[in-house]
Amino acid sequence: MLAWFTPERTTWLFKVNPALKFIVFFALLLITLFNQNFSFAVWQAVFYGILFYVFSGYSMKKLALLSIPLLISFLSSALTLTLFGKGDTVLWQWYLIKISEESIQHGLLLGSKSLSFGFVGFTFLLTIQPVLFFYAMMQQFRLPSKYAYSFIASFRLIPAVTEELQIRRNALKVRNIRFARGIKGVYERLQMYTVPLFAQSIRRAQRIAVAMEAKQYQMGAARTYYYTTHYSRMDVVFIAVMVSGLGSVVMLALF
Amino acid sequence: MKKLKFTDLLITIMVGVVFGILMKFWDDLYTVVKPIMPVARQLIYGMWFMVGPFAYLLIRKPGTALIASIAGASLSAFAGHGIEVLMYGFVQGLAAELVFAAVRYRKFSMLIAGLAGVASCVASFTLDLVYGYAALETWALIVKYGLRAISAFIFTGIFAVLIVRALEKTGVTSLIRPVDKKEYTMLDQ
Repeated sequence: MLAWFTPERTTWLFKVNPALKFIVFFALLLITLFNQNFSFAVWQAVFYGILFYVFSGYSMKKLALLSIPLLISFLSSALTLTLFGKGDTVLWQWYLIKISEESIQHGLLLGSKSLSFGFVGFTFLLTIQPVLFFYAMMQQFRLPSKYAYSFIASFRLIPAVTEELQIRRNALKVRNIRFARGIKGVYERLQMYTVPLFAQSIRRAQRIAVAMEAKQYQMGAARTYYYTTHYSRMDVVFIAVMVSGLGSVVMLALF
Repeated sequence: MKKLKFTDLLITIMVGVVFGILMKFWDDLYTVVKPIMPVARQLIYGMWFMVGPFAYLLIRKPGTALIASIAGASLSAFAGHGIEVLMYGFVQGLAAELVFAAVRYRKFSMLIAGLAGVASCVASFTLDLVYGYAALETWALIVKYGLRAISAFIFTGIFAVLIVRALEKTGVTSLIRPVDKKEYTMLDQ
């Protein structure tokens, strides 16, 4: 699974400080979120699409595969709004379904926004190493180490948790457990799976925390880092590309 | 009111991450249900509001709802749901946290937990409004978010409280919660 995420080539985006990349991307997505201008949203999606398809460094085959969920989310969000959205200039109506000019516009706006989110999200995930991201957050953005290490430790335990979930599923199958129908069944299912899973994860997390403190990990104490992260010239390039990219998007949307 | 110790924090984040994994599997169910039964789909939506109130009911300290909610959302984001879920995780956790702050972190009843879930639902609705998901006809809007709020109450109020009670029976909560006065006096005898 993880081997799949090795890029074909490492582009300049890989050399950008991961924490800086996150902060900039997050700020850009806030702009996307609050924007209500249609052409701005479309050009933004185009810009982020270029980042994703050209500079993520993955083969076209993998990028095409990753595009499938993006396409689905584009279609599902755009369609719901087109079919049931509000609007007065009705083009076509059939029972509850009502397509109007406004609803098409709203649908496409939402669709472009979700495309932007998808492109930026994937570009970020494909070009960082999660552990280095947390180290950079501690060193460049002063994220308290207690949060960063808790996240890293919890993320390390994900394979164990998914395996446990699988075992639990098989165990319930072997015992031929039947769930009631309706909302009661939903609860039964939830309880059967979550109680052993949480009991085990809580014990495990508590042991890790105790072990860390036994080895003199102290919250808020000054510390050195095993991986040191820095700013580099690439970060200047990155900021310049992002600013000029967003600038061109604004220009294209205005004229 | 007690501050979070490192153990509490690690457990809170772990709970969030486990919820993230569960939500990933829940999402498969959700995707199957999605096209055929839009009503049922909204009724199981409450799962997405459960993480914050659940962590609070479990650990009973300030900050847990918000932190667990962000942790769950960041796992979802890493699992490929897109960075926007981080924003949802943040506002939903914050809304639940505010409800618990309003009762000074002293109440752990179904009503309070359920209200926190509904508050999360309202917060996510506000974000939907900004995002553009909510530009629907009025009837569709009321059906969609009304059902979602009901679901939020059922999941966070009833289900979360019941599951935490079941967890209390397993004994793991004794690892987290502060030791009772009674247990100290027992030591003296």
